Amino acid sequence: MKIAVSADSPDLNAKVGSRFGTSKYFIIVDRDTMDFEAVANPGASTYQGSGVQAVVLVISKKVDTVLTGYCSPTAIGHLTTNGIQVLAGVVGTVGKVVQMYKKGKLQRQPGVKSGLEAGVKIDKTTLIHALSNSVNQIIRLLPVLTGVVLLIGLFSSFISKELLSSVFSGNIAIDTLLGASLGSIFAGSPINSYIIGGEFLEYGISLFAVTALIISWVTVGIVQLPAEIAALGIRFALVRNAVSFALSLIIAFFTVVFFTIIGV
Amino acid sequence: MNMSNRTTRKQSVMRMIYFPASVIAVYGIIFAFMPARAFLALKSSGIIFSNIIIPLSLVFILMIVLNLFLKPAYIASFLGKEAGIKGIILSMTAGIISTGPIYAWYPMLKELNEKGAGSSSIAVFLNSRAVKPFLLPIMIAYFGCLYVAILTVFTITGALVAGYIVGALVEKNVIKYTD
Repeated sequence: MKIAVSADSPDLNAKVGSRFGTSKYFIIVDRDTMDFEAVANPGASTYQGSGVQAVVLVISKKVDTVLTGYCSPTAIGHLTTNGIQVLAGVVGTVGKVVQMYKKGKLQRQPGVKSGLEAGVKIDKTTLIHALSNSVNQIIRLLPVLTGVVLLIGLFSSFISKELLSSVFSGNIAIDTLLGASLGSIFAGSPINSYIIGGEFLEYGISLFAVTALIISWVTVGIVQLPAEIAALGIRFALVRNAVSFALSLIIAFFTVVFFTIIGV
Repeated sequence: MNMSNRTTRKQSVMRMIYFPASVIAVYGIIFAFMPARAFLALKSSGIIFSNIIIPLSLVFILMIVLNLFLKPAYIASFLGKEAGIKGIILSMTAGIISTGPIYAWYPMLKELNEKGAGSSSIAVFLNSRAVKPFLLPIMIAYFGCLYVAILTVFTITGALVAGYIVGALVEKNVIKYTD
């Protein structure tokens, strides 16, 4: 296992570099033998794109973990996508911080910040990044949300309560099963399940069915099943989805029963 | 980012646009033949929009806060590092605070799984995603605080139960197969 530490000079006594992108060196240490290699950071002398060059260097060295002072959210994103763990806010000498990391003491050391706290450094860049991420998330949410709301509008003007009642019969067991099935088929942001669920309640459909729909919307994914199988294996994906479907019925039952008892 | 991940994302973006476009097309057709009905449908949609606009603004603020303080690298560091109950609790926390569509998480989960994160941890993570702190304003607007509180407790309990059962069934099968 290899650990890359940003450093000011090419040895184990060097101080940990304060910024991942512009540190002069990376000391790449073998976790088990403590053998190390010092590599000059090609991005140290450049103002633009230094982070990218450092990311490429670290990935090419097949490193598992990066220890550094500060790492930009973008660099953290690239490193993490490539399976590299990043611990920022690290201070001390290279040799010492690697030993601390090996003992699992690094994150608990007073004064040494974790990856979370690295993100807490709310400078202008971090704020802009968080804002643009949030705007992107909302923008990604809006098209489907708009479609769902418009579709519900259509339903309300074309589908009568009587028609919906013929599908949701009023039998709690069947309705809950139907709600869970609908939730399993649909995908996307759960915000849509809340809106659909809320409108279903207006139509007199039972809270059992609506709760099962909300739970299974996230926990069961028929549409995402191929992706889940590809990532985690067919056995895991099938078992997890089947178990989650059954649990959505049980959770619906207990939630509504407790809600009825406490709410009275 | 690998090709399959990029394709999945592209497909998802297409799905995202196709759906509202199809609904708008249906509206167009209805407008041509039954304008009164179409207006009624639009009016109903407008009421729903007006009901969710304030909670949606709160959602946006919560999203900014979460994006400021939580990075995927930090969330990933919760998974697969600890065994036992502590590991399960960390996975649950990671699931609750994780944001974004699930397909974005699959590559990371695959890698964590290959690095030894147990089936239980991953199942707990996936099922805990049903608790969405930043969507609470919308949920409360529709269902009320009491219902949301009870549902959250049972959702978390359900995620832990799912993790236990999935772990037991998947690991059991592995032993049987390797024997």
